[in-house]
Amino acid sequence: MSWLDKLGKITESGARGLARRSSRRGFLGMLGASLAGAASIPLLPVARASAGGGESQVPAQSTGNPMDPGDPTTCDYWRYCGIDGFLCSCCGGTQNSCPPGTEMSPLTWVGTCRNPADGLNYVISYNDCCGKSSCGRCICNRNEDDRPVYRPSANNDIDWCIGTSNNVYNCSTAVILGLAN
Amino acid sequence: MNNLTTLLTAAALMALTAQAQADFQPEAVGGVETLPSEYPDHWVMIHDVSFFHMQEGKVHVIDPLEENLGGQFKGMMTAGFIAAYLRSEQRNEHYVMESFHSRGARGGERTDFVTVWDPATLSVAAEIEIPAKRITGMPKTTMNGLIGNDRFLGVYNFNPAQSVSIVDLEKRTFVGEVPTPGCGFVLPTGERSFTSICSNGTLLTSRLDADGDLEGTSRTAQLFDANEDPIFETAAMTGGMAYFPTFTGEILPLDLSGSEVKAQARWSLAQNDEEKSWRPGGMNLIIADSAGTGYVLMHPDGGEGTHKNGGSEVWVYDLAAGKRLNRIELANWGLSLGTSGTGDDRLLFVTNADMGVDVYAAPGGEFIKPLNTGAQTPFLVHGAH
Repeated sequence: MSWLDKLGKITESGARGLARRSSRRGFLGMLGASLAGAASIPLLPVARASAGGGESQVPAQSTGNPMDPGDPTTCDYWRYCGIDGFLCSCCGGTQNSCPPGTEMSPLTWVGTCRNPADGLNYVISYNDCCGKSSCGRCICNRNEDDRPVYRPSANNDIDWCIGTSNNVYNCSTAVILGLAN
Repeated sequence: MNNLTTLLTAAALMALTAQAQADFQPEAVGGVETLPSEYPDHWVMIHDVSFFHMQEGKVHVIDPLEENLGGQFKGMMTAGFIAAYLRSEQRNEHYVMESFHSRGARGGERTDFVTVWDPATLSVAAEIEIPAKRITGMPKTTMNGLIGNDRFLGVYNFNPAQSVSIVDLEKRTFVGEVPTPGCGFVLPTGERSFTSICSNGTLLTSRLDADGDLEGTSRTAQLFDANEDPIFETAAMTGGMAYFPTFTGEILPLDLSGSEVKAQARWSLAQNDEEKSWRPGGMNLIIADSAGTGYVLMHPDGGEGTHKNGGSEVWVYDLAAGKRLNRIELANWGLSLGTSGTGDDRLLFVTNADMGVDVYAAPGGEFIKPLNTGAQTPFLVHGAH
């Protein structure tokens, strides 16, 4: 579980406890204050409702490459700055490969993410893995560079299992295509 | 003495049992409930997309004002594979745009349908097969639309070529496909037209003839920049107008009452400079109630990538005047809005970050209660009115 997720959960559970103990006015005041601090974190619309993400009771893992820093099973891994869905790294695949028995969609959208190791922006292709139902683990929604559905080549709301044997969605990858200009 | 007491007690019990047996009526097996064919205005249809089990989406029919679980939950429809939902008040039917795979959770051949549900029996009244390319993804209220006095239904296709399947709801048949290259979504327009939003910042309007075939098109000038400050895919729709928010917090009002779209002057959600850091965001982040009052989900400290974050407040607007009426501080962080009811009995529904649904009075914003609908991912709340 990332610290961002932890912060989100602490904020929520704290707010719930407060709601039980306090008057409505007091609750609203405290909630406003705590959420103002949390406003800059990715709120993960579905993830925050789910215990599925994070898989917190295991040690962090890494790519093994210092130039590709972070834990690919957490939502705050740098490549996931525009991803939306279940992380394939938690589903039997990796950050750039699909789980066994699934099929990678040839079509998708691309965004750019900044690599903290070298400070450069990289073009990321968010290819979905298809052919089995939702993995259901490590859901993650971040939206840098995401644009509305009517601009599909920049949108992560679409089930991108298109051009595959069928459009059943399993999980999402983040493949580095190259350096952004 | 003890024996006598025991005997008397036993006799009394036997007498009572005999009486109870005489009064007992066996219950009938096979009972099935029905609903009123005209739903009360305040009822809602809550779309549980079932994000973690996409084949098993549902639409729950809920009476939010009932106190207990049994009273609130009126029944449900199934809605397969990240489906979409619409209801025609005029035809008094539910429509679910859905997909099925011949091998279930591992795919196989896909077939798409518009499934027509009877509101009273909540049983399937008809299945209308459509081309197996309706868009699948996070549902938006504008992905499909009722056109021409609810005679036709337009279904947004994406594979990734974009088009709209036209369904004749009277004949319950698929009519044909209208190409909308570079554009998506179905906003009912004028007498018998629909408008789609285009990636180049224009709007494309497709006009249908009496049979539902394409008669002609028109296109606006560029009205927004899809990269720098795009309009969201959803709008507050009321009185022939669509009020689209942009990512940075402006409103683009569009007059959809005629056969050609007319844009009106933009206005800002922020009412002063201090509020400019607040931005709209969420899933169904803007909505108009039955009286035409607008509600927008807002978050502070907005910036690139925060447009789906939802918000801590709902800002309430007189949409025609571009004037804010109220700021509602939410009891729980909100992600998506719905509304139901009429007159003084209007309600605002907020799907919160814990995937609960909270009920507020509208337009005042008084918190009424949380609903317990059992929905896992209730992304959209559709009002009966």
